Amino acid sequence: MTPYGQKSNRVKWIGAPVKYVLFTVMMLTWAFPVIWVILTSFKARTDIFTLPPRIFFNPTVEHYIEAFVRSSDIARGTLNSILVATATTVLTLLVAVPAGYAFSRVTFRFRNQLSFFALMTQMAPPIGLIIPYFFILSRTGMLDSYTGLIAIHMTLTVPFCIWLMITYFQDLPVSLEESAAIDGASPFAAFFRVVLPSTWGGVGVTAIFAFIESWNEFLYAVVLTGSRTKTVPVAIFSFLTTEESLWGPFTATGVTIMAPVIVVALFAQRQMIKGMTLGATKG
Amino acid sequence: MAGVILKAVFKTFGKTTAIKNFSLEIDDGEFVVLVGPSGCGKSTMLRLIAGLETASSGEIYIGDQLVNEVHPRDRDISMVFQNYALYPRMTVYENMSFSLRMRKIPKAEIERIVRQTADLLRIGQLLDRKPGQLSGGQRQRVALGRSIVRNPQVFLFDEPLSNLDAKLRIAMRAELLLLHQRLKTTIIYVTHDQLEAMTMGNRIVVMKDGLIQQVDAPDAVYDQPLNRFVAGFIGSPTMNFIDCRVVSEKGDLYATTPGIRLKIPESHARHAEKYIDQEAILGIRPEHLTVSTNNRHLDAADRFKAVVRVIENAGSEKLVHIRNENDTLVARLERHIRLKTEETVDFTARMDSAHLFDKQTEHTIF
Amino acid sequence: MSKKADPKKVRYEVQWERFGYAMISPSMIFLILVATLPLVSLLIMSFFRIDLTYPLDNGWVGFENYLEMAKDERFWYSIKLTAIYTISTVFLQVAVGLALAMAFFRGFRGQGVMRVSVLLPMILAPVVVGLAWRTLILTPEYGILDYVSILLGFGSKPWLVAPTWAMISVIIIHTWQWTPFAFLVFLASLNAMPQEPLEAALLDTRSAWQRFRYIILPMLQPAIIIVVIFRTMIALRAFAAIFSATGGGPGTATEILNLYAYRVSFNSLDLGYGAALGTVLLLITVGISLFFFRMRRSSTG
Ligand SMILES: Nc1ncnc2c1ncn2[C@@H]1O[C@H](COP(=O)(O)OP(=O)(O)O)[C@@H](O)[C@H]1O
Ligand SMILES: [Mg+2]
Repeated sequence: MTPYGQKSNRVKWIGAPVKYVLFTVMMLTWAFPVIWVILTSFKARTDIFTLPPRIFFNPTVEHYIEAFVRSSDIARGTLNSILVATATTVLTLLVAVPAGYAFSRVTFRFRNQLSFFALMTQMAPPIGLIIPYFFILSRTGMLDSYTGLIAIHMTLTVPFCIWLMITYFQDLPVSLEESAAIDGASPFAAFFRVVLPSTWGGVGVTAIFAFIESWNEFLYAVVLTGSRTKTVPVAIFSFLTTEESLWGPFTATGVTIMAPVIVVALFAQRQMIKGMTLGATKG
Repeated sequence: MAGVILKAVFKTFGKTTAIKNFSLEIDDGEFVVLVGPSGCGKSTMLRLIAGLETASSGEIYIGDQLVNEVHPRDRDISMVFQNYALYPRMTVYENMSFSLRMRKIPKAEIERIVRQTADLLRIGQLLDRKPGQLSGGQRQRVALGRSIVRNPQVFLFDEPLSNLDAKLRIAMRAELLLLHQRLKTTIIYVTHDQLEAMTMGNRIVVMKDGLIQQVDAPDAVYDQPLNRFVAGFIGSPTMNFIDCRVVSEKGDLYATTPGIRLKIPESHARHAEKYIDQEAILGIRPEHLTVSTNNRHLDAADRFKAVVRVIENAGSEKLVHIRNENDTLVARLERHIRLKTEETVDFTARMDSAHLFDKQTEHTIF
Repeated sequence: MSKKADPKKVRYEVQWERFGYAMISPSMIFLILVATLPLVSLLIMSFFRIDLTYPLDNGWVGFENYLEMAKDERFWYSIKLTAIYTISTVFLQVAVGLALAMAFFRGFRGQGVMRVSVLLPMILAPVVVGLAWRTLILTPEYGILDYVSILLGFGSKPWLVAPTWAMISVIIIHTWQWTPFAFLVFLASLNAMPQEPLEAALLDTRSAWQRFRYIILPMLQPAIIIVVIFRTMIALRAFAAIFSATGGGPGTATEILNLYAYRVSFNSLDLGYGAALGTVLLLITVGISLFFFRMRRSSTG
């Protein structure tokens, strides 16, 4: 084999030193805001507004205490977010995984039309959805309900997850199910006993995306939720409404919102990037 | 156990017709091989028999039952796929017992059958492993085992050996034959490898573009190909084809090119009479070309001169590429024969083993 | 093992077709009820006056909302902003993403670290991103970017308070958040590209620019089209980051159509007019995506 590395040394677009400078700038550009939010959340009030900005300081958790203990909004919001995102994820998987499987495997009438339909629902602008949704829910007295929010979050997650699962199922050879059919398994048995156990990885990545989507979602939540079901991305605004900026509790809450996503990203970055770019690179 | 009868089966996918007018009777216990180039419809035919596809028209019988509308699980067949299709998350034992569990066979009975089959295939020690932990050959055996446990009426094999390396493939060929002798179950076996077809089948079905070209015992397919395609497809190195002209001189027929003049044996001559003064294709297998031994005068009726171009030494034999005028031929010679490239050599063709094909229809003339 | 086939049992393909319907119906029913029906209601609502602050006058008004819209300067301004926002963010993402991908493709050490740092912006809550930019990064003097701008001698900028600057800021935020997507897609397609044309290009072309222009760019074209499609769709949905960074302001300086429809519907509670604005956005989105589908089909087929 021709050594791959040798080629890459020859085909060089930019000299190595320039490349590393660029690399550092790029890393800073993208990682810095996140790091800065985290650092600020541990700074004492007096360390936040300093010139020049402080990188070294005595860390404190006072803002976390303030965010979670003094204002009941954040604690409740976090619990609401956990509840909504978890329910959205579970329900999404329940409908999207079977649908993704059928679209990837079964040739039924109107398959292309239906998968196009699923794709189009994902393109629909959220603002166009939320206006009638708000109207309908206000008429049925379902504003500020978990059900309403979970259902509308699923309009975001279901099409995307169907589409993602299709690509995972397509990686499995069809002969698995054919073999199972000859062995006497019904399509359901083949799905549950043969196919699904081989796709848990894909289901996991899909679940991660569904959870993050719902966890981060803002527009629907800000319109539909009230004091009872307010999620944490909505609740975080309470620190910045007045011009007296409470950067401390705000960043503490920001870290709370980002933390689960960052942790997941650290563990599953490879799979997540693959999932994100899959459709784009497969064409 | 049962035979399989196919009557005028057609299968179309949209605009392409994968199987055309396929009729064949397979006897109980027979080992039939479907062979042909990739894309000729072998897998499709096998899948039609399995019930994974539905025939567009025609009838398929397994035993004496018409099975066109019958679900694969009720056809009492089993199939081994090229990629084996082992269930990745199940152990070997679970893989092999899956069909029996689906059929609600008692546990103890399953255990007995699986162990017995595993012993037969010498994979008893692998029962707790997952497919990912097995070598290619072991997976192949597990796939076989999974198809055997049910004791079906017909085995369907779709290129089961083509994912193995050459050595293992030859070993498995023999093992499959032994297995067939032992189980005596009907086997329909698909391969694109003509050598595999020749060595394994009781009968060979040669296919091209969805059409059956010839159905015969291996020797018959080899010695009496029905057309130029079969002649060229079976045998390696492939048969030499030379565009020639049939001429008649003093009551004898000759196949001639600008540089070659070979006498058509009297036994075949009457088939070729219609082609006098017409173009035809002469087919000579490489092993039917030899270096002429004694120095008789050159216009001997089965000789021609040719220049040696390339010599491939295959150990047990030599493949010599030779050239006469515009025709390039391959001769398969014994290893001790010494030749030099660019040397002009006198070759003898065994014309009683040669074939003549119609230039238009490509049907065999003799 | 049964020898006789049960006539009640169906053929394999039929069985699978039924199975297919069973598997997709929950999701399709769900999408019809929770996505399609509301969109139909949106269209219907746009022909009504539904002002929750003066419910007495509510009722069917036909095309009145649309006629009003045609005369509504704020609407046309928001259309203009939407176009500027969408085109500039998509262009910047493709340009910057492509440049970075070209710089970093092939065996670059540190890809693991890079991956996490570029993945993060895309998966963090847009609300947190918008608020963090508004406070920690763009606040005069104390915001890092403003601080750096002062350090470099450019002076403090009215990032979120001057109309033009505010628009630039929200474009920067969006570009910051989503360029990684373009970067990763281009990186993946560059890595998946066949080596031979590149090798040959090394011999045939004089400059790196020629290589890029005549060899790499054509090979990347499908990826670029995909990125443009995905990113346009996302840009048209943009809401949370702008809402949290500027709230659409100052005044209406960053009020893209999304935000305008939101403000009309949920600040003024004029749902009828909001629905008409939403319908226009829906039509724009559908129109653009159909255009893209056609373009993509003609470029691949
Ligand atoms: N499911 C299918 N849909 C459309 N065309 C098919 C399908 N299966 C097979 N074909 C076509 O039928 C022909 C025969 O295919 P196949 O039976 O797989 O050939 P082989 O196994 O001999 O290589 C090919 O031209 C193939 O493209
Ligand atoms: Mg095949």
